[in-house]
Order: sequence, then C-alpha cells, then structure tokens
Amino acid sequence: MSTFATAAGLRSQTRMGHRIRVLAGVLITLIFLFPVFWMVLTSFKHQVDIFTTPPKFFFTPTFATYVEYFRRADIERRLINTVIVAAGSGLLSIVVGTMAGYALARIRLRGAATFGVLILLSRGVPPIALAVPMFLVARQLGLTDKHITLILAYSTFLIPYVMWLMRSFFISLPPELEESAMIDGCSRYGAFFKIILPISLPGLISTLIFSMILAWEELLFALVLTNRVASTIPVAIAGIAGDTINGANWGALTAVGTITVVPVVIFALLVQKWLIRGLADGATKG
Amino acid sequence: MGTVDIRDVRKSYGSVEVLHGVSLHINEGEFVALVGPSGCGKSTLLRMIAGLEDVTDGEIAIGDRIVNHIAPKDRNIAMVFQNYALYPHMNVRDNMGFALRQRRSPKTEIESRVNNAARILGLENLLDRKPRALSGGQRQRVAMGRAIVREPNVFLFDEPLSNLDAKLRVQMRSEIKELHQRLKTTTVYVTHDQIEAMTLADRVVVMNGGVIEQEGPPLELYDNPASRFVAAFIGSPPMNFLEGNVGDASQLILEDGTRLQLPFTNRVAQTRVTIGVRPEHFELSSSGWPATVSVVEPTGSETQITARISGHVVRVIVRGRTSVQPGERIHLSVPGQLIHTFDGVAAPGDHTNIQRAKRYA
Repeated sequence: MSTFATAAGLRSQTRMGHRIRVLAGVLITLIFLFPVFWMVLTSFKHQVDIFTTPPKFFFTPTFATYVEYFRRADIERRLINTVIVAAGSGLLSIVVGTMAGYALARIRLRGAATFGVLILLSRGVPPIALAVPMFLVARQLGLTDKHITLILAYSTFLIPYVMWLMRSFFISLPPELEESAMIDGCSRYGAFFKIILPISLPGLISTLIFSMILAWEELLFALVLTNRVASTIPVAIAGIAGDTINGANWGALTAVGTITVVPVVIFALLVQKWLIRGLADGATKG
Repeated sequence: MGTVDIRDVRKSYGSVEVLHGVSLHINEGEFVALVGPSGCGKSTLLRMIAGLEDVTDGEIAIGDRIVNHIAPKDRNIAMVFQNYALYPHMNVRDNMGFALRQRRSPKTEIESRVNNAARILGLENLLDRKPRALSGGQRQRVAMGRAIVREPNVFLFDEPLSNLDAKLRVQMRSEIKELHQRLKTTTVYVTHDQIEAMTLADRVVVMNGGVIEQEGPPLELYDNPASRFVAAFIGSPPMNFLEGNVGDASQLILEDGTRLQLPFTNRVAQTRVTIGVRPEHFELSSSGWPATVSVVEPTGSETQITARISGHVVRVIVRGRTSVQPGERIHLSVPGQLIHTFDGVAAPGDHTNIQRAKRYA
C-alpha cells in the first residue's frame, strides 16, 4: 500500500516538475520575444500613439511609416545589398572555414593547434580597432563602397567562427569513416567530399545560417566601408536612430527593424529541418 | 597475390618508438591473428599494413610490391573496423558497393557482387536500410560485406567483435572462420582476446611492448610458450606460476621455505626459477603437492578449484565433477612433461614477464 502511495506521489511530483519547466520555458520565451513584439507593434502605430502613457496595445494600425521609409531609406537597394553581402560572405566563409576546420580536426601538422588558436585570437581584436585600417586599405585599393569589400571584411570574422564550429563537429565524427573511405578507393579529398560533407550537412547548414545572420545584422564595417552603393540595412537603421537634426524617428526605426528581421525569420523557417541534427547516427556502434 | 611481408618494421611517434623492429611473413590464404595487451603495437602494425600509418623504418610488401609509399586505396586491401565505420548516409547496398563505385566498375557487376555478398551474410532483406536502422550484429555483417565485395588481396580486421555482446561475439567468430574457409583470402586479424585468436587463426602472433614475443600455430603456443608472458597470455584461465629456487634434490623451494617435489631432476643446482602449470594439467591424487581448497566452482562439464599451496593461490580444473569441499586438504600432481619452467623470477613491479622458457627435464 505504502509503495503505491509513494509511486503515485512520485508520479504527481514529476508531473508537477514538468509543468514548472514548461511554465518557465514559456516565461523565458516571452521575455525574449517581448522587445521584438514591441518593435513590430510600434512600427504599425501612428506617431502620436508611440509615446503614450500608459503604452497602447490597441490602436488603429497604419502602414504609413513603412510606405514612407521604404522610399526614403532606400530600403529596396539596401535589402538587395544585404542579401548579396550576407550570402556572399556566408558562402565564402563556409567553404574556407569548413576546409580549414577539417584540416585542424584531422590532419596531423606541426603547429596546427597553435595556428588554430591564433586564428581564434584574431576574433579577440575589437572590430572598431580594425575598422579604420580596413577603410584605409580599401580606399588605397579603390574598393570602398563595393559588395566584395564587405564580403571580405565579414569573412575575417566569419571564417574563424565557421572553422571552430566545424572543427568540433568533425572531431565528433569517428576518424575510421575517412580511413574506411580511403581504403575503399578515395583520396583524403574524396573521403572529405563523399563521406564527411554529406554527413556534416545539418551542422554545415546551421553554421551557414548563423554566419549569414551575423553578416546580415553587422553594422560597424558596413558603416565604415560603404557609402551609398553597397550600403546595407543596419546602416539605414543607424542613420535613422542617429538622426541628429530631427532626433530618432521611432516609428521609422521600428518599421525598418521589422523589415530587417522578417527575411531572417522566413529563411530560418525554410531551412528549419536542416537545423535538426541526427543524420550522423548509426555510423558506428551507436 | 595475397602474401604480406613485414621486414624489420619500426614505428615512432616523435621520439617514442612503439614498434621495435617487427618481421613477419604471412602466406597466401593464411589467417594470422595479432594478439597482445593494449599498447603492444598490434593495431599500429595492422594500420601500417593498411597504409593508415606511415612506416618509420623497414619494409612492408603485399604480394611482391613494396607498399611503404602506396596510398591505402591502391593496396587492394579491405579493412573491418572495431566501430564498423559504416557510411551513415548510405543504405546497406550503397555501403557495400562504395568501393566498386569508386573503381568505376560496371553497374551490373556491382549489383551482382553486392547481392552475392548479401546472400553469403544473410543481409538480403536489409539492403535498403540505413546503418542506424541495424542492430550491432547486422552492422558488423555489413562491414564484413563491404570487405568481401571488394575481393581484396588481404582482409584486415581490427578488433571487429569487441563491440558485440558475448553471445553474438561467439556466433560472429564462427561466421568469420567459415567465411575464411570459404573465401581463402589472406587475413590479418587483430584482437586482445586470446580465445578469438586461438580459435580463428592458422597462426597466432603474440605481441608485447612493440615486439613479437612468439608466433606459431595456436596449439604450439599453448604447448610450448617461449616466455612466461606468452604462457600467461595464452590459455584460460591462465597458467599458474610458482617462483622459487630449484635445489639439487629435485625440489622447488618457495620463498617461505616450502619444498615441492619436482618430477624431474635439476641440472643446475640453486637456480632461481618460475614453474608454470596450466590449471587443466593438475591432477588430484594421493601424493603430490599439498594444497588447501578455498573455492569449488562446478560448471557441469568441469569443475574449477581454487586452492592454496602454502599461501600461493593456484587454479585447478578437473574434468567432470568432484567431491572436493572447501577447506579440504588435497594433493596435486603434474606429469613432468607438462611443467613449464622459466628463467628467474619476475622482479617486483615488472609486468613485462619476459622470462624465457627453459628445459630442465
């Protein structure tokens, strides 16, 4: 009898624990999403509704800010630029970083570990310290305000990022996979492309997504290295927020902010299934 | 040609030498097991034959071709790994056909060879499964299938059964033996399990500390171990050892002064020696070495007795059943030709056990 009571007690206790965890999860998610929600909400408000006390949750929505700033902030071109730069630097970094990460994970080379750490350390340099030298180099090379300049600049921090993420991913794969492939007729490259890459695809794609998001929202280099032609969306936001003549236009700020976030969300939803890992199961004893 | 010739091969990692000059000739169609404790260099040697490790010094030839600088893919070998290393994104069919596709063999040939291997290993119904949907034993079979399909000159096995449970291990062991009898492909098989080595191989190579201790047919190693190490390694439960001095009166004098009569005469008086007796070679008799029984473990076909000869634990195996009880005083006798003698005694803390066998009788 007592065992029954204990078992039932235990069960209700675990159910209780489950509820608490769910509740905590929901709360944390709400806290994280609230600023985003507030941004989207504000972007649909008339100017007069933005700063009311208490804040308004119900109001007559308007697209006016969107329509106006889409033209004024040159959003269309900036969107295209941001896509080019994010995709370009993301892809370049994934190619270079993945191969570098593989080499660091697998190939026994003298000083490889030191080399890897040095590359990682380069991320410790504050970007602002690099921005001005980069600008001077770009100007000397006649590369200011060009897509390729931003792509290269972003790759300087994306490649180490990709390299270290992929390195740890590759280390988690059993080396016998490539050894087996090499005995089965592949070169080291063949083993990498035919066996390791297909297995790494989920990890590779999530890394690519994170890299692209980092490039998508980057402000500092974009601000310094571009002017009009290759300027990206975050620069527009900074321009609106830092408008010293009229003061920050919060309606415009939130509208452009929303425009910035929406493509990322759509993109993430599209590739969501790749974010779920698990393809590497069953390679070995498991 | 499926011969493998290993000539004075050495391997160093930096300044640490792990293989100290190993020579071994493996005949066409022979099944050779490399066996030894972990760290003895057996896996390293196998990986050098495969081309996965560089040869620091010496030569390895497969057939009449020296392969020191030939890539693994060009050695025409197949290897089965301990963790199977199946390609997780390919189904069983593609896993088995991968090597042939790399070689650009005709599609029909790939298919017939894969089907043939699948039939031999009973994998026909699993060809469309991914590795993650297979059990451990099935994965093991697919790994072997992948090797068979290649029709290589040499099969290399690197502890292929270590990840299976005991029952499956015994089953797969006989499958591997059957497969070898059928295909007659030269095989090098690495294991730390002496039973696996004994049961599978035509020739067992016992390695220890980067050198070959002894090589020969399984029963030869069992009957005539060249050193105390081999004697202890081959056979289960392991050989019993008693250390002491052999006096001129054909007696082994143990450390505590106990005198055990030996059934042969000593030629060199007052020598430090180690006497070795396999548990199954003891006989319970009315005369012989006196011992006290501490544990009796019947298994039906045989009975294992743990006894003490003045404090020294010995294991005894007798066929069938026995009425011996714990605490009982018994006498153990051994026919003279079944007593092994080894040079000197092991130094305290020295586990290399390289004491050479010695003939007194």
